[in-house]
Amino acid sequence: MHPSLPSRSLLPASLACRRLSAPRIAWAAVALWLVAAASATAGEPLHVRIDQAISKALAGQPVAERSSDEEFVRRIYLDLVGRIPSLDEAQEFLHDGSENKRAALIDRLLESPEFARRMQHVFDVMLMERRSGNAVPEDEWRQYLYDSFTKNKPFNELAREILAADGVENRPPARFYLDRGGDPDILTRDVGRLFFGMDLQCAQCHDHPLIGDYHQPLYYGIYAFLNRSFVFTDESKKTFFAEKAEGEVAFKSVFDPSVDEKDFKPRLPGGAVVEEPTFAKDDAYIVAPAKNVRPVPKYSRRQKLAEVATDGTSRQFNRNIANRLWYVMMGRGLIHPLDLDHSDNPPSHPELLDMLAEEFAASGFDVKFLLRELALTETYQRSSLLPEGMTDEQAAPERYAVALLKPLSPEQLAMSMMEATGVLQRERNSQSAKIDKDPKLKDLLETDAKRQQLRAALVEQAVYAAVKGNIQQFIGMFGSAPGEPEQDFQATVHQALFFNNGGMLNGWLSAQAGSLVDRVQKQQEPQAAVETLYLAVLSRLPDDTERTEAVEYLTRDPSARTAAVQQMAWALLTSSEFRFNH
Amino acid sequence: MKCQYACQTMDHVIARRTFLGGLVGFGSAMGLAGIASPLAASQLAAQQKHMLVIFLHGGVSQLETWDPKPKTDTGGPFRAISTSVPGIQISELLPHTAKQMHRMALIRSINTKENDHGKGRICMETGRREMPGFTYPHLGAVAAKLLTHESNPLPGFIRVGGGNGVNKKDAAYLGPQYASVTLGDGKPPANSLRPDSISALADAARNDFRRRVSDRFALRRRAAETEAYVQSYEQAQRLMERRDVFDISLESPSIQEKYGNHEFGRHCLLARRLIEHGVSFVQVGHSNYDTHYENFNFHIEQLGEFDATFAFLLQDLHDRGLLEKTLVVVMSEFGRTPKINERYGRDHWGSAWSIAMAGCGIQHGAVIGKTNDNGTQVVDREVHHGHLFHTYLRAVGLDPTESFTLNGRPMPVADPAVSAIKELLA
Repeated sequence: MHPSLPSRSLLPASLACRRLSAPRIAWAAVALWLVAAASATAGEPLHVRIDQAISKALAGQPVAERSSDEEFVRRIYLDLVGRIPSLDEAQEFLHDGSENKRAALIDRLLESPEFARRMQHVFDVMLMERRSGNAVPEDEWRQYLYDSFTKNKPFNELAREILAADGVENRPPARFYLDRGGDPDILTRDVGRLFFGMDLQCAQCHDHPLIGDYHQPLYYGIYAFLNRSFVFTDESKKTFFAEKAEGEVAFKSVFDPSVDEKDFKPRLPGGAVVEEPTFAKDDAYIVAPAKNVRPVPKYSRRQKLAEVATDGTSRQFNRNIANRLWYVMMGRGLIHPLDLDHSDNPPSHPELLDMLAEEFAASGFDVKFLLRELALTETYQRSSLLPEGMTDEQAAPERYAVALLKPLSPEQLAMSMMEATGVLQRERNSQSAKIDKDPKLKDLLETDAKRQQLRAALVEQAVYAAVKGNIQQFIGMFGSAPGEPEQDFQATVHQALFFNNGGMLNGWLSAQAGSLVDRVQKQQEPQAAVETLYLAVLSRLPDDTERTEAVEYLTRDPSARTAAVQQMAWALLTSSEFRFNH
Repeated sequence: MKCQYACQTMDHVIARRTFLGGLVGFGSAMGLAGIASPLAASQLAAQQKHMLVIFLHGGVSQLETWDPKPKTDTGGPFRAISTSVPGIQISELLPHTAKQMHRMALIRSINTKENDHGKGRICMETGRREMPGFTYPHLGAVAAKLLTHESNPLPGFIRVGGGNGVNKKDAAYLGPQYASVTLGDGKPPANSLRPDSISALADAARNDFRRRVSDRFALRRRAAETEAYVQSYEQAQRLMERRDVFDISLESPSIQEKYGNHEFGRHCLLARRLIEHGVSFVQVGHSNYDTHYENFNFHIEQLGEFDATFAFLLQDLHDRGLLEKTLVVVMSEFGRTPKINERYGRDHWGSAWSIAMAGCGIQHGAVIGKTNDNGTQVVDREVHHGHLFHTYLRAVGLDPTESFTLNGRPMPVADPAVSAIKELLA
C-alpha cells in the first residue's frame, strides 16, 4: 500500500535542484506574440488560440515563467478534483519523466469521479450561493448536479432543466426557483445575474442610473418570462412551480414619465421579442386552474425561456457561462465582476471572450472540453511567482501575466486538509474494503476496466458520504452568507480560532495508524521525515532553508518528536501557501 | 409605479450624487477600518465610539414605558411618574430609569407601519424594510466596519445571549469579518480556549513556524489576501490573551449584585465590560414582551427586571466615562396596540410607538414627537426606522449619507430617502 517514501536521491535531478532562484522573465512571450500577430490562427486548438489572444494583449510585456511541476500538480488537482494531490499522487507525477505528462494528468483527472464532485461544488455555490431552504433537500440537489457532471451533461441542457423546472417529475432542478421563494423579481435578478451575467436589479424601477446599457426593457424582458409563474402548494404542503396562461407586464419609470409600457412581451437580453401562440381564453390550459390544482398552460413562457436561452443562439447566455468557467480556472473573470457585463465594464479580452463563448457553444456546451482547453493553456500554467522586476501594472490581474492566487473554497479547504492529514486515505481504505467484501458487489472486483471505473465511483461516493459532515462544518465557517456570492476573500478571527483551538484539525493531527503524523514520525531519518511532510501537505519538497529549519525543529527534543511533527504539520496546513491555490 | 426594492438598494439619490462627482466610499474622516492613521492606537481607543442596543423582544408596550396615557380608554391601570427631567413623565413601571432621564432622550412618534415580528426586527436593525432576496447589513455590522480599529482583536459586533456562534447573515455584503458573534449565555467566543493538549509554548512554536512559511510564500506574491489571512491568526492570538474580557466573575460582588442576579443583569454587565474593552457594538436581548394576553402583569414582571438593571447600567457607564462615547438604544420590533383586547392583552402595533436612547451624541432630556391623547396615532414629527438608523450613525460621528462599495457599486449606508432627526443630535 505504501510506496517508498520520498528521498532526494529518488527524485529527478531537476527537481532536487529546484530552489527559489529568481525565475527569469519569459521574453519568449515576445516572440510568441510576433508569431501570433503574423499568422492566421484558425485551425489551431482552442488552447493555443487562447494563449495567442492573451499574448497579443500583453504586447511583449513580461510574463511569469512556466509553473514548476510542483505548482502545477497542486493547482490542477485543486481545480479539477477539488483537493490537493495525495503524497503518492504528487510523487507519481513528479517522478514521471514523460513529455506530455501534464496533458495526460488533465485527462485523467477529468475522467475521475472526483471531477463530478468538484463540479457539483462549483455549480452548487454558483447557482444557489449558500442559500438554505428546504423546498428541495440540499442532498437531492447536490446529487442531481453530481449525476449531471458524471454524465458530462451539456451545460445548456443542465440550464434548460433548471430554467424549465416545475418540480413535478424531475424535482431537484426546481430548487433554483423554489428555494428563492418563487418571487418573479428575485428570479429576474438571479436569472439575469447567473445565466446572462447581468445584474439588472436596478433597472426594475428605472433605467440603471450608472450603467448605460441596463435599461428597464432589459429587466422586463426577462421578467415577462417569469411573472406568470408562482409557487403552488399542494394539500400535503409540498411546493411546485406553476404557471398561469395570463398576466401581462406593464411598467413605468420612476424618473421618466414618458415611459409607460403595457403588455410588454418576453425577450432575452440582446434578443428579439419571442413569438407566442395565441389561444382563446377558455382554451389556454392543459390543466385549468382550480382549488388545489396546479394549473398547466398550453403555452408556458418559462418553458420558452429555458428553450431560447439555451439553444446556442443567445450570445449573452454563452458569454456568461464561458466567463464563469474561465473564472473557475483563472481566478478572475474576463468580465469582472461576473454579473456586470455591459459596455462600460468591457471584458479585458473582448475577442477572447467571444471566441470562448462560440467555441463552447459549438462544442455542445461540453464543460470538460472547455476546462481541458483552459488547463492546457500556457496562461493557466504560468507560475504565481512574480518575476523579479515586474511592476504592479505588468502584474495586474486582468493581464494574466502571472497566475493569480485563488483562495480555496470551503470544500477545497476541507478536502485538502483531510487529504494531507490522511483522513481521506483512511476513509478510502475502509470504504473500499467494505465494497470489496460486499457479496452483491463482488463482480465489480473483476479487473475489467469499466468495472474498475464503477468501483472507483462507488468508493468516491462512500468516502464523500463519510466526510460530508466535515465539509459542512467548513462551509459554515468559511462560506459566504446565504444569498451572497462567494467571491471576495475575507479572513476572520473565528476561522483562525477554529484551526488554532478547534477539535477538528487538531484531531486530524493525531498519530493514529495511517495518519500523516504517523507516517512522518515513522521516518527515522529526519531529512526523509521532513520531505514526506512537505510533499504530503504542500505537494513539494522543502528548499534548503526550510529543510534545515524543519530538521532542527524535529530534532530539538527527541522525547517530543511526535509533538514536533504535529506542530509543523499544523503550521504548514495553516500557512498562506496552503490556504490559496497558487 | 411603486418600487418593491430596487430603488432602495441602489437609490437614485446616491446615484445622482455620483453623477455630480460626489465622493463614494469612505474618506479619512469616516471610519477607521482600513485607513492608515498617524494616531497611536491608545489615542484611537480613547476616541472610539460604541453602540449598545438593548432589544426588548416581542415588542414592548410604549404605553407601559416611554409614552404613558393614564386615565384614557387606552392607558391601562398604571400611572405616569415624574422623571429627573422636569416635564417628562414615563410609566410608573420604570421608577429607576426615571431617575436617569437627564441622560436619555425619547422618541415618541415612530410609525414603521410594520406589525410582523421578523419584518419589524429587520426594519429596526437594518434601517430598511425587508426586501425579499436581498439582505442589508445589521446596524452592528455597519458599526463593526466603521468604528473598529484594525488593532482591536475583539469582534466588532457582539450579541450577548442566544446560541453560541457567528451569524454571517448579519453582515450581508460587508462580509464575514463584520458578522455578529453571539456569546451564548455570556460564554466567551467558540474556540477561544487553547485545548489542554497544546501547551502555550507549543502553540507559540507552531505559530512561529506558520509565520515563517507564510512569510516566505508572500515574499514573491501579491500579498493583500495573504496578509489578511496571516493577520487573522494574530488577531486570534490576541483574542485568546484577552479572554478575561468575557468573564464577569472578575467584577466585584457588589457590582454584580447591582446589575442583578438574573440573566439580563449578567448580560448587561458583560456588555459593559465589552464596551469598556473596545468592542464597537453590543446587542443585549431581553425576552419576552409579546403580551397578547395579560399585558399588564407581564409588563410588571418584565420591566421589573429591566428597570433596575438598565438604570444601573446607565449610571455605571456614566461613572466610568463610557456613556459620553457610547450610544445606548432601547428598541423593539414594534410597540403594542393602544386598544386593550378582551384577554387584557395588547397586540402588535407599528403605527405609533416609542424608543429610548441615551449617551453619546444625543440631546439629553429631549423628547421627539408626539402621539395623540390616547396614543392611537402620531400627531407630531413622525419618523420611522430609516430616520432612526441615520440618527444612530450621526450620534457616533459617522456620516450615514456615504456609501459602501459593493462590486464597484455604491450601496448607501442608510436609506438615502430620509435623514437623521437633527434636533435630537447634540
